[in-house]
Amino acid sequence: MKKILLSLTGALMTLASVEAQEDITLTGKQLFGDLKARQIGPALMSGRFIDLEAHPTNNRILYAGAAGGGVWKTENGGASFEPVFDEHAQSIGAIEIDPTDPDKTVWVGTGEVWTRNSVSLGDGLYKSTDGGATWKNVGFENSERISAIVINPENNQEMYVAVLGALWSDSEERGIYKSTDGGASWEKVLYTDTATGAADLIMDPENSNVLYASMWKFRRTPWDFDSGGATSGIFKSTDAGKTWNKIQNGIPEGDLGRIAIALAPSDPTILYAAVETASEKKNGLYKSTDAGASWEHLNNDFGLTVRPFYFARLVVDPKNPDIVVKGGLSGSLSRDGGKTFTDLGYQHSDIHDIVFDLKDSDRMFTATDGGVYRSWDGGATFEMVEDLPVSQFYQVSVDDATPYNIYGGLQDNGSWYGPSASPGGIEARDWDRIGEGDGFRVLKHPTKPYIYSEMQGAQVVWRYNPERNQTKNVAPQPEGDEKLRFNWNAPMALSAHAPDRFYMGSQYLHKSEDMGDTWVKISPDLTTNDPKKQELESGGLSLDKSGAETHTTIFTIVESPLDENIIWVGTDDGNVQLTQNGGKTWTNLVENIPNLPANTWVYHIEASVHNKGTAYAVFDGHATGDMNTYVYKTTDFGKTWNSLVTDEIKGFARNIQEDYESEDLLFLGTEFGLFITVDGGKHWSHFTNNLPPVAVHYIELQKQTSDLVLGTHGRGVIIIDDISPLRQINQDVLAEELHFFETPAGIIDESSGFGSTSTETQFVGPNPSKQAKIMYYLKKRHTFGKMTMEIRDMEGNLIAEPAPGKSKGLNIVLWDQLKKAPKVAVGKIPSFVAAPNAEAGTYKVIITKGKDTYEHSIRVENDPNTTLSEADRKAQRELTQRLFNDVEDLAYLGYRIDHWVEQLEGVESKKATKALEELTALKKTLVITTGDRYVQEAEPELREKLSELYNNVAGAFEKPAPVFYRNAETYEAQIKNAWETYSKIEKKYLETVNAEIQKAEKEPVTFKTKEDFLAE
Amino acid sequence: MKLVKTLFILAFVAIAMPLSAQTADEIISTYIENTGGDAWNDVQATKMSATVNQGGMSIPVTVYNTKDGKQAVVIEFNGQKITQMAFDGETLWTTNFMSMKPEKASEEMSNNMKLNNNDFPSPLLHYKENGYEVEYIGTETKDGAETYKLKVVQEPVMMNGVETPSISYYYFDMDSYVPIAIETTQMGQPINITMSDYQEVEGLYFPFAMSQAGQPFQMSEIVVNPEIDETIFDFPVE
Repeated sequence: MKKILLSLTGALMTLASVEAQEDITLTGKQLFGDLKARQIGPALMSGRFIDLEAHPTNNRILYAGAAGGGVWKTENGGASFEPVFDEHAQSIGAIEIDPTDPDKTVWVGTGEVWTRNSVSLGDGLYKSTDGGATWKNVGFENSERISAIVINPENNQEMYVAVLGALWSDSEERGIYKSTDGGASWEKVLYTDTATGAADLIMDPENSNVLYASMWKFRRTPWDFDSGGATSGIFKSTDAGKTWNKIQNGIPEGDLGRIAIALAPSDPTILYAAVETASEKKNGLYKSTDAGASWEHLNNDFGLTVRPFYFARLVVDPKNPDIVVKGGLSGSLSRDGGKTFTDLGYQHSDIHDIVFDLKDSDRMFTATDGGVYRSWDGGATFEMVEDLPVSQFYQVSVDDATPYNIYGGLQDNGSWYGPSASPGGIEARDWDRIGEGDGFRVLKHPTKPYIYSEMQGAQVVWRYNPERNQTKNVAPQPEGDEKLRFNWNAPMALSAHAPDRFYMGSQYLHKSEDMGDTWVKISPDLTTNDPKKQELESGGLSLDKSGAETHTTIFTIVESPLDENIIWVGTDDGNVQLTQNGGKTWTNLVENIPNLPANTWVYHIEASVHNKGTAYAVFDGHATGDMNTYVYKTTDFGKTWNSLVTDEIKGFARNIQEDYESEDLLFLGTEFGLFITVDGGKHWSHFTNNLPPVAVHYIELQKQTSDLVLGTHGRGVIIIDDISPLRQINQDVLAEELHFFETPAGIIDESSGFGSTSTETQFVGPNPSKQAKIMYYLKKRHTFGKMTMEIRDMEGNLIAEPAPGKSKGLNIVLWDQLKKAPKVAVGKIPSFVAAPNAEAGTYKVIITKGKDTYEHSIRVENDPNTTLSEADRKAQRELTQRLFNDVEDLAYLGYRIDHWVEQLEGVESKKATKALEELTALKKTLVITTGDRYVQEAEPELREKLSELYNNVAGAFEKPAPVFYRNAETYEAQIKNAWETYSKIEKKYLETVNAEIQKAEKEPVTFKTKEDFLAE
Repeated sequence: MKLVKTLFILAFVAIAMPLSAQTADEIISTYIENTGGDAWNDVQATKMSATVNQGGMSIPVTVYNTKDGKQAVVIEFNGQKITQMAFDGETLWTTNFMSMKPEKASEEMSNNMKLNNNDFPSPLLHYKENGYEVEYIGTETKDGAETYKLKVVQEPVMMNGVETPSISYYYFDMDSYVPIAIETTQMGQPINITMSDYQEVEGLYFPFAMSQAGQPFQMSEIVVNPEIDETIFDFPVE
């Protein structure tokens, strides 16, 4: 049969039958089934939050919007937060609770409004009518960023949306929009031009006809940021948005930049504005006490003027018009109506929003570059919310340790590494900091205990030795007057051929053979070296020289894993350079790439492990306003390239990862999540199982585990454990009713269970499961009739019955590798007994679905970390089984006594009474019949002692201590005695009492056999 | 017989229900019709026997529900019957696992339970009479299957002293119109339920396999209108 390539996406299933020759096409959720991503955080450094929205009447409820990590909601006054926006664009601009229906109706405008170089995108306005549980996109799809949503508190049909709009291009979707039908339709009511957006919008709480807005002209390019222009300004409407007038009496003439505005809710005639002007002297805080008719300049302190594009937020205490807070590097608070300010208490720098508690102004929350903070003392002291894993990774890498570690750099939060698994879960304490400032790329030396990390534009490149806790700066240095242009996110690379080799890219490719101690340039300037793109005075009205806009630099470097002389280099100004002789000569291949706009940023090149001439290149044009996806593959050293893009992919792409085994299996990270192809790019499928559509900046595939590790810019590190089943998918598999996949052996984990140190409100990342995985594909969801799963040993004995998954697509069922627990004698309180571990070996899995059965085998292995010898393990297993039988023997004796006692109830005869007495007395020596399970526990009887001994032996991974054998003998003797006592009672009474019973025409007492009793 | 009926249902659905122009009411009434129709109104009580497997232990669970809102969950732990929770229409009570004695739940929880007194055997059966707001949201892929998604708003509950909306989402299999997943809240906690293995009991279709918050329940038997000793619902007096 002709091999048919698999296509994952396409039309939904229809009622039409699928003919055998046709491709079976499945969308992401139909295929990926139980294959779920694992979000491991970290949350200890958290990430950028940009907007806070408090419930107007219930101060337990607060929403927090993240720069790239979605919307989080607390219902417990900020003790802990839950993500509530995981199916939608993760970059948030503004959140607004409908004041007339605050428990249910919530609006989210997507797209961050603090327009730094690494900012993400939104895709419109969303509405929830169930308190944030579910959301619907209701328009403004091309708005890119929404800065404010305002709703009339008297009439929620009347509402306004402020659209800041596109950052990197002209756009007509900007300005203030009004709806009079609750958001069903919109009219643009304030607009200046295609370059100027609405930056802020407020409504007078006492008069909904009065609105204030600020407009802002702004533009970013890869090499420049420009804030300010004649079209910026403060506007007021007094007729519910019909007409708008500039209100700038007292504010300097000429170009203005970004403007924050705020109104005192306790006195709506008082307004504050933080204004970016052309004059340093006139920047800063303005106040109006006449509803905007005139303004007075009060303050141009650093905290009031710093980086307007990043900190244009003013908030006034809801009760006191003189208390005003400004976002900023530290945040500034005034208690004298804006005349003087003090810094907010120590917290992560870069404060973007502040919200006061509605009942107690001493209680406030802030949104910072390092998460959400709480203050209880009016902003003097802050504590961090510790369960917000919205860290923004620029890159991730992995090592080959067990468990492997993950390394990466973060926006404004340094560089870190932490484990992919840790006893008790992956906690804050598991992560180690290995860099300051903004972190970017981090790489572990392949064989030595060194880690390379860096900060902004390779200002420092640390070679860190975690064993000695020592660092050395190994950044390539300019020689003489030469200027090196390093990207803000400067590339580094290692070699699969020489462990000490280390590459870095400025405009040149730098190579070191001694871990960065010495460097040689092995290329000429590989960029366009276009002087127009080497702007050093970025910022516009306020100079913003951080180095973040350094352009015409190398951005990606990869040495072929198959040949060390083959090196691919991509530049941020669109060159794809290849050397096949270790850097002696270079060829720019970009002209060979079809349908690619000139100078499009080369974000990533992946050199294939399958062929020397094969590579993948991902281009990103978003910083020039080009939001298209560009992914190309070459198989001939870049002479020809084919696009792998289909319209199933959403968002511009940043990274691609090929599978090490299947050449057709590829993983693509875009601005809106992860896309997977199993047919070499003919079809792509969006992976959404516990993976929000977050910007995926980097992807690694860990070789030993086949774990896919994503560095997301807003939701930390996200792992898809073991993608190997995706290698096994093809058309033949999809045509089967049920198909089992091969899975790695389950491991009988011998670790202690100790390890967790986290408290109730701290984030803990989940560990991967070590349990045996049963993985299968179901062609159709099982809904009608019975479906069961059995695990049997190779002799056919029933071992366990895990509940099978019923989903269409991939199902994953975990078996804890436990056999069935023994039956225990009944007492007053239940006795807990452990189930014994299954032995290492092969087991049969049998799924019965209707009248069909499907069989497969799985393997279980002992913990590779075990210290147990085979002989000791055998001894442990044998004693476990012996005690298991003892527990069940006692259970059966208990049953005989209980059952007889039950039957004797109401039988009135001397003998029956005697029998009852003797049986009750015997039972009392076997199990406890009084007390509770806590501090009124009764003294243990035989069952309790035996169960404890059994649990000690069965639950341990050790050779049983001699005392366990002695105790086993003691208890076995006691069981024997008890049986003897019981037999005597039976001999004495059973026949005669039964005769009496039969005389009364009742059923005589009979007992189940032990086999039947145990089999029940 | 059962298979024939199921096939009949599927055929009926395919012919009678085009994929477009769904309303919440149509979906609910088709579901009720396909799973038993008017017979649902004759159900006075149910007894469901299930097994929960945990750590190698098989724990039999019996759940009793009555038309007037009484409920009891009785588990059998190593041969010992324990009423894990019961509700007599007024008072919700549980067994304390330390003292093994019955204890009343908070008044707030009992009051929230009382709100379910009109929801037997499903809040969807008499949603109109109960004044529940239902809304067809659209189609969605659940468990890999294509479903119709319905929003159901019931009486608000009290959560730690604050009134909180009670909103659930039901996902109906497009082929058969039976719910295969429910996203709801129980005592304020979000909880996901999946349902499968629908089988017929006295003309009614029940899911014989469920999973609540990831915990699977495998039903061994469902009895419609069983004999119930009503004292099991009452708070035991010592």
